[in-house]
Amino acid sequence: MVSTIMNDPIPVHEILINDQLITLYDLEKIRNFSKRSGISFIKIALTYGYISRKNYESSLIKAGYLFAENVRIEAIDSTIINKLDLKFTSNFFALPLRIENNKVVTLMADPTDYEFINYIYDIYGLDADVRLASDLDITWMSHKLLGGPFVKASVFNLMKSDPANSALVTFSPTQLSLMFITIAAIIIFLFLSFVYTSIVLNVIISSFFLISILFKLFLALLGSRFELHEAVTREEVRNIVDEDLPIYTIHLPVYKEDKLIKKLIWNLQSLDYPREKLDIKLLIEEDDDKTLNAVKDLNFPAIFDVIVVPFHMPKTKPKACNYGLHFSRGKYLTIYDAEDIPDTDQLKKVIAHFAKLPSNYICIQCSLNYFNRNENFLTRMFTLEYSYWFDYLLPGLDTLDLPIPLGGTSNHFKLDKLVELGGWDPFNVTEDADLGVRAYAKGYKVSIVNSTTYEEANNETFNWIRQRSRWIKGYMQTYLVHMRDPVRLYKKLGLKGFLGFNFFIGATPLTFLIYPLLLALFICFVIFDFAFIRTLFPNWVLFMSIFNLLIGNVLMIYINMVAVFKRRYYELILFSLANPVYWLLHSISAYKGLFQLIVKPFYWEKTNHGLSKINNTVDEKP
Amino acid sequence: MENRRLLYLILISVLLAVYYLLLGINIQHAGYYNHEALFYIEKAHIIFDGNGSRLKIIGLTAPILPFYGILPFSFNNLLAPVIASAIGTAILFLIIAIIIIKTTNDKYFLLILLILFTFHPGIIFTACSGKGIYFSLIFFFLFFYNIFRFYQSNTTFHISIASILLVALIFCDYRFVWITLFFIPLIVSIAIQSLNLSEKQSIFRMFLSFNNPSLRRKLANKTFAIYVIIFILPLISIICYKILNQTHANDFNYFNDNPYATWNVLIDKLEIRALPVVNNYSIPEVSFLTSIRIIVYCPLILLGIFLFRSNVQYFLTVTIPFALVEFIKIKYGNSFLNQQYYLIFIFMSFLAIIFNSRIISNNIVYKALILVLIIFQIYMGYNYLNNSFIESEKSFISTIKKTNNGDNAYDEYIDLASVINHLPTNSEILVDDANAYPIVAFVKDIQMLTLPYQDAFLSAIENPSKYVDYVLVTSLTNNVSGYTQLNYKYKNIIETRNNTKMTRVYESYNWILYKIIP
Repeated sequence: MVSTIMNDPIPVHEILINDQLITLYDLEKIRNFSKRSGISFIKIALTYGYISRKNYESSLIKAGYLFAENVRIEAIDSTIINKLDLKFTSNFFALPLRIENNKVVTLMADPTDYEFINYIYDIYGLDADVRLASDLDITWMSHKLLGGPFVKASVFNLMKSDPANSALVTFSPTQLSLMFITIAAIIIFLFLSFVYTSIVLNVIISSFFLISILFKLFLALLGSRFELHEAVTREEVRNIVDEDLPIYTIHLPVYKEDKLIKKLIWNLQSLDYPREKLDIKLLIEEDDDKTLNAVKDLNFPAIFDVIVVPFHMPKTKPKACNYGLHFSRGKYLTIYDAEDIPDTDQLKKVIAHFAKLPSNYICIQCSLNYFNRNENFLTRMFTLEYSYWFDYLLPGLDTLDLPIPLGGTSNHFKLDKLVELGGWDPFNVTEDADLGVRAYAKGYKVSIVNSTTYEEANNETFNWIRQRSRWIKGYMQTYLVHMRDPVRLYKKLGLKGFLGFNFFIGATPLTFLIYPLLLALFICFVIFDFAFIRTLFPNWVLFMSIFNLLIGNVLMIYINMVAVFKRRYYELILFSLANPVYWLLHSISAYKGLFQLIVKPFYWEKTNHGLSKINNTVDEKP
Repeated sequence: MENRRLLYLILISVLLAVYYLLLGINIQHAGYYNHEALFYIEKAHIIFDGNGSRLKIIGLTAPILPFYGILPFSFNNLLAPVIASAIGTAILFLIIAIIIIKTTNDKYFLLILLILFTFHPGIIFTACSGKGIYFSLIFFFLFFYNIFRFYQSNTTFHISIASILLVALIFCDYRFVWITLFFIPLIVSIAIQSLNLSEKQSIFRMFLSFNNPSLRRKLANKTFAIYVIIFILPLISIICYKILNQTHANDFNYFNDNPYATWNVLIDKLEIRALPVVNNYSIPEVSFLTSIRIIVYCPLILLGIFLFRSNVQYFLTVTIPFALVEFIKIKYGNSFLNQQYYLIFIFMSFLAIIFNSRIISNNIVYKALILVLIIFQIYMGYNYLNNSFIESEKSFISTIKKTNNGDNAYDEYIDLASVINHLPTNSEILVDDANAYPIVAFVKDIQMLTLPYQDAFLSAIENPSKYVDYVLVTSLTNNVSGYTQLNYKYKNIIETRNNTKMTRVYESYNWILYKIIP
């Protein structure tokens, strides 16, 4: 590796102006922004949409610079590295590595950044031996070498500060004892009186099935009262003054999403928010070279800052987000997935809504929906499900002031409160739902706003089952975590919140688990008319379980049907009739989730994105 | 203030319930009964005091909601239907009154509502007869109220609630299922109105939407979606109910066709068949004249139609019950219309008044007209009941006026039940409640009876001497003897086949009680 800095070099910004990659006006803007924020010129130029990395590289090569290759295998002197503060160095795209020839060998993306060169001198008392390197390589190295304490904090913070709410322990000893006692009791009773025990179990299971669906219908109806309610109007959004807007952090946790990077930038560029006030973090795992290379190969300017999450188990999205929290500057923070298309005015709507809410509201959830709804049966059913979930059930929970399980993305937080809550639980695979309950338990509230993020509906059955099994497993985890001490939870949530938590978080996976049992009973009795069913269960039990199953299914179909109205997806209404089949897929996922909960509770079932053949344009919005 | 008004309304409702209850008890003491109430009494009697498999009775007795309505009051079997209908009608008053105070501050509307509920013979009949009409009226009113609210709010909430209420309405009176047919034009109109078009006139909106392929597709999708969201729930509920009937009674239509499940089967033959009075030409109930009869019965509906004249959706909605009633008249041509099919128009016209309360409040002419029409309606209510072609309605007035000259068809049931009640202790009597339910309703100890819900019933019919001591059979003159095996032929068959002797213990015009002598 050779030094790339030339004698009396032309400042990089001049090279860029000469090559017409930026204008003088841009330079002025970048400098002003740099002064205000403390972020270096090069970082602003490369991560706030001024120049593409490709152009930057070719421009510097043309000017006689040479980019170092294979920087990842450079020799490192830990005494040099340990003197650095990652949060500071990450603002400069620069990293001192070792002392060589009485100079500090320093990787820099901008070899003419004298602020950092002076910093090196101040720290080490030696001149810098500057080697030009790609900003992404420097970022990777920086986080790999300096990110250890941050990633450890991301994993163990919640566990240390609030162990009762950490999902590190899946089943508490009391829960395990209770479960085994219950199973043992059922087995003993089955031996003592098989018929009566079966009857009791049947009645409990089928009644529970109906009650949990009735609760959902109740919530959906409650939510439907406010379907035309606009928490924030267009007029209010128009009245927002850009200069008054705070810095807004957006986390984009990705893993092997190389195909979606271009779309991601396109979608983010559509956001109606001053670019300088956006703090967008692309969170890439250390071993995810695919995505990193995709970012490197972009031939147009990026508008996000890449953060490389050092390897640490568990490899989950919440851990990555917690890591990103350490580098976030915003007053508010939200998370989007790589394929998300948020409504352009979403951030402004959230800010307007926060301004209207009392201070104990710390999170606002936006609706999620799908842009590829008409792709196949699965995407249609998924769209129906998301529509009733976000457009009806969550507003229903909001109306009743019950704990709201947050959706996977597009939940907007007050950053300081999020940190106060301990961030996300890295051991919980539906960390968002868990966070919603934790926030509620601490007296904080979550609200809903009339803005939608369009995602890509899973269009492939096995991929769908993978994703859904993770969600259901996460619900089970969340339920187990918060029910370790039901009395304490009851005291925190109150009766209403406690019941809401049990019927929404607890009942959801359980309903999916019992559904095939009830269906099997129905098929054995009504279609095959097996004699043993009649011998085992008296008529009233069969009547009751068939009634519960039929009415339960009818009501679920109905909830799905109601869902088409707000978004005017009228063409999907008949697909609601297929809900009983769709529920079978849920049941398969639920059993898979249950199995994983026991054998590998923290395993993050990766959902593949970018499978849709539909162009991700939102063709119709309500 | 709001809470205080609500408290007053609850108080008035309680007073109304007491008023209805006192009237109802007095009328019952004067000898008034009807088949519907007796049917419910008998079934409730079996549920609470019977011995055997009662699942079919609990789950498949129809109409199910009015039947369930009396169960909480079964501590007094004979009065239970009256208590239920008195309280139910008072609740109907309370519901309407609450809607009024939510809509307007004008006390005039509450006053006319109170006049109507206190004096209208049709409503008094609803409250005091023990019939389940009150349930139909509650759900009918709420269904249309939510449909009107939907026009105003355009949210799925009201339309979904309307759908759930329609389910309840159908489970109060199965015939209301036909209302689904007449919503088609209305829903097309709703869909056209909701399209995003600059044109305001309905006819031009329709023209535009029919001639543009994209709009046409949207219109079709939306029309279908609204139709489905209102009617899928009732239709699927009926299918589910039919499946339950099939799995537990081996007949999809058990609840509607079987005299063990519903009182409607026999009542057609006993009370409301049109044939015996076909020569009665005093305002005959035939097809299109039914609408005229309705308008005469409830002229307030004309005012309702007038007030909604400029809005197609509202206008069509008000006219839907006319189409329903005309359809029912054609579909069930052999029977007369029950009182409830007239009463629904009173409540529909009241809805029209509530939704136009702002116009009416500011216009003294309207107020005066409504008062006059209400008074006229009260008179017509009396007139219709007094001249009703249906025995249970006509006898209600004649019982009040004490003009039935002691000629009471139910005395026969009471006498027979009294004979059974005085049979020796531990006697077992074989009775088929397909047609003998009015007798069973008056029997004190139902354990004495062997009835069809019990497993022993079929064996007892085949071999009565082994199972029972007495058999109740229908006489040759009994109109509904065809519904049971225990008819006048039974004695000969059993005596010949089983070598058993049956001696007559008691005989009335329609019934004979035999003692079995082995």
